[in-house]
Amino acid sequence: MSLFRREDLHSLAAPYALDALEPPERVRFEKHLKGCDRCAAEVRALSEDAVRLAWSAATPAPAALRDRVMAAVRTTPQDPAPQDTARAPARARATQLPPHVWGTQPPPRQRERRRIPLFVPFATATAAAALVVASLFAVQANRTQDELTAERDRSREIAHVLAAPDARASSGRDGRGRTIGVIASATEGSAVVTLGGYGDPSGGRVHQLWLMRPGAQPRSLGLFESDTPLVATGLGTSATSLAVTVEPAGGSPQPTTQPIVQLALKSVGFGE
Amino acid sequence: MEADELLLLVASGNQKAFEDLYGLVSGPVFGLVRRVVRDPAQSEEVAQEVLLELWRSAAKFDPGRGSAMSWILTLAHRRAVDRVRSARAAGEREQREALRANQPAFDHVTEEVEAGLERELVRRCLDRLTVLQRQSVTLAYYEGYTYREVAERLSLPLGTVKTRMRDGLTRMRECLGGVA
Repeated sequence: MSLFRREDLHSLAAPYALDALEPPERVRFEKHLKGCDRCAAEVRALSEDAVRLAWSAATPAPAALRDRVMAAVRTTPQDPAPQDTARAPARARATQLPPHVWGTQPPPRQRERRRIPLFVPFATATAAAALVVASLFAVQANRTQDELTAERDRSREIAHVLAAPDARASSGRDGRGRTIGVIASATEGSAVVTLGGYGDPSGGRVHQLWLMRPGAQPRSLGLFESDTPLVATGLGTSATSLAVTVEPAGGSPQPTTQPIVQLALKSVGFGE
Repeated sequence: MEADELLLLVASGNQKAFEDLYGLVSGPVFGLVRRVVRDPAQSEEVAQEVLLELWRSAAKFDPGRGSAMSWILTLAHRRAVDRVRSARAAGEREQREALRANQPAFDHVTEEVEAGLERELVRRCLDRLTVLQRQSVTLAYYEGYTYREVAERLSLPLGTVKTRMRDGLTRMRECLGGVA
């Protein structure tokens, strides 16, 4: 059994946010965090406070440091994105976990063999990018062949958007830490849109993505399946923003509720 | 572009994005590491490790869990603290004593004279904490002491230190308000 009572563990949130725990305590507390939403939220807030302390220490780095880092970058390979299988179970809570947890404790690398071939046909950089996007979402371990095929097609589409020379990324976050991310190419007229932390709406309802244009009705871009990315195509350059609403099962021809999140597309090259 | 977007591009192997990201974060990263590690040569070493780790591990960044800047500075802080602690554990007592003599914990905050809006704001807010809150927070965050060590140094019970740390951070938040 744990050496610490629960209330003792709770009280470690502030020392944890300040990196003031000894390693064994840190490990124990991180374990506790996974099952304690309240502590996770608190740690997250306290960590943001601690980061303010960090900011205030900013000072220009020596020029020689830049040269050394850039030289090293040219010859240093990048680590692959963590595989989703390891992270999926914690996903629902993950949005509230602080950076500590993933900065210092990389999830165990569980190779999911079926996923590998999906990315083989693409150039290395593209494959990495596709993995990045895939890693933003929960991917359940058990999938049917149809789902795998659909996923492969989607991965191709995603890779296609990411490979566009003008691909740009943008993201937004609401006060509760939920995110919308978009990687878009204005020349391709397509975008990969991802939701993080919203979960599935209750009662069989769905998250529907809309394209918002000035002086025009919203156009449906599709329905989200859980946290998997949605590829939106046929976006004109007049596209100004994306919005997500909660709709009845199967989606609606036009939005029937207020958007839960909206993201301007200007920063990714649209509407200019 | 902001750090969040850049980091996503870095994760796909984009070196240009990394250069931009470097421009954005090298100052905060280096400054923080320098503040905690103190020794200039070691600080550069740790900062270099951290910045290179951003390149290597960019794919581990998950925007759903916090801002990129927060991820980056948390990583930098963790590495800096690790370095300071292993130096201490390696028995560098003399250095430690010298540091202690040079940098008394009490007036640590007010020694910072360089300008900078955020720095000024944080300093002013730190000054508004009670002495024990400020010492608990700064000994841990800027000097890399564990809360047990902080309790020893301040001759306070563990529970008190934990509370002071929490209250200190919370009061900082209120003082800093929405100024991001």
